[in-house]
Amino acid sequence: MAALPRRIIKETQRLMQEPVPGISAVPSETNARYFHVIVTGPEDSPFEGGLFKLELFLPEDYPMSAPKVRFITKIYHPNIDRLGRICLDILKDKWSPALQIRTVLLSIQALLSAPNPDDPLANDVAELWKVNEGEAIRNAKEWTRRYAMDN
Amino acid sequence: MSATVDERVTDEVEALEAILMDDVVIKRVNDVPEIIETVVHPSTGDDVDQQFVCITLEVKLTPDYPDSSPEVNLRNPRGLDDQLLSTINSQIKQKLLDCLGQPVVFELIELIRDNLTESNLPSGQCVICLYGFVDGDVFIKTQCYHHFHSHCLANHLIAGKKYYQEELEKLPNWQQMQAPPYQQTCPVCRCPVSCDVDVLKTAPPPVDSVTAPPFCLTAELKALQIKMAALLAKQVAKGGVVGVGDTGPPPLTITSPSDHDNEATNGSSSVAQEGAKSDAIGASTDGASRDAAGEAAPGDPHPQQRRPPPPSAAPLAPARPTTLYPFYPLPTLRCHS
Repeated sequence: MAALPRRIIKETQRLMQEPVPGISAVPSETNARYFHVIVTGPEDSPFEGGLFKLELFLPEDYPMSAPKVRFITKIYHPNIDRLGRICLDILKDKWSPALQIRTVLLSIQALLSAPNPDDPLANDVAELWKVNEGEAIRNAKEWTRRYAMDN
Repeated sequence: MSATVDERVTDEVEALEAILMDDVVIKRVNDVPEIIETVVHPSTGDDVDQQFVCITLEVKLTPDYPDSSPEVNLRNPRGLDDQLLSTINSQIKQKLLDCLGQPVVFELIELIRDNLTESNLPSGQCVICLYGFVDGDVFIKTQCYHHFHSHCLANHLIAGKKYYQEELEKLPNWQQMQAPPYQQTCPVCRCPVSCDVDVLKTAPPPVDSVTAPPFCLTAELKALQIKMAALLAKQVAKGGVVGVGDTGPPPLTITSPSDHDNEATNGSSSVAQEGAKSDAIGASTDGASRDAAGEAAPGDPHPQQRRPPPPSAAPLAPARPTTLYPFYPLPTLRCHS
């Protein structure tokens, strides 16, 4: 495998030196392109108080192509499916090399604050979110409590 | 509202329009000039190609201008770092005080231009490689005044076109016919750009990015890893991890912890390297689907390259047979398009 690009090293160092509040990303012991990530549920969202684990992988041609990211912790969210895959434009066609690991994770955290049921990935969740938002939010809180709380 | 305008203002605006012509925009309400806007460039004679920085100056005239100071805003700085901006801003403040009672817009333009002329080199870093511009680097300024190493921008444009082609080929024929043609975009602002990739790619890689020091884990990183692994183990135990428990999707591949152990124990360092390599390749080709099934499992994404964990610190190892899923098994997730 080619040497790790300096951009990745630089990003890793900055993630440690100036961590983003509510987000931690740590490279794996065996593969510096694979990151263990924890995103805390944003305040005033149904995910508040949850610690959500994600995995992030920087493909060979990063930053020319987007990192692969998915949730590992189960989450009840209209834009995240049962496999933990995330529907977010910057991870697909709106990717730009000006984005970084930190900006991607911030966007994902923002997605938790602002679910978008009109652009769903998890259809059943999105449906309920549109028809009965109260119940959907209760479900999201329950899932957060059951799966993502550190107790 | 009657349109009586102070003669000093009328004269100033007339002079601005006469000298700057199309480069100044005067916004009027009821014929009264309210906002003066112009993009300031460094003085480089008429050689536009040598202008690497710029900034938009916006002057909002107060009703009793010039007897009171106008409101001055600097917008869209290009190639200018925060330090220079704050220098310019404080000089503007002083100039507004000094010129109270007389028209000041020309003075402001001159002040900014002098600063830009002195710093007519991109400061800051190339957002693609995150390294600065140093002696020996070849860089390019886009039409939108963003700077990149030519080498870096070439890579972006080549990758962008490749992505466009790949996505296009996934569409049904009739949609391919209707698809808008490929357009190069600026990585920073997504403005359309047009660059000759063949020329750009002849540039050498950024000077600072050539020698890569080896990556090593710090004690701090290791501590964080252990903390995260412990959290994951807890969530796995509670059934809170994707693919674990009854809410998971149908399994694609089943493997057992003993398989992992065998692989891990047998894995010499060269095997580990191979694993890392195939991971990278598999993950970069989105559509690799089932072949890549082994590369991402919940909580144990790279089983091939795991070293045998010390007995006490194996929180990442799943407690029971685990379902393995490809990282991104579906070729497309088209959203917001």
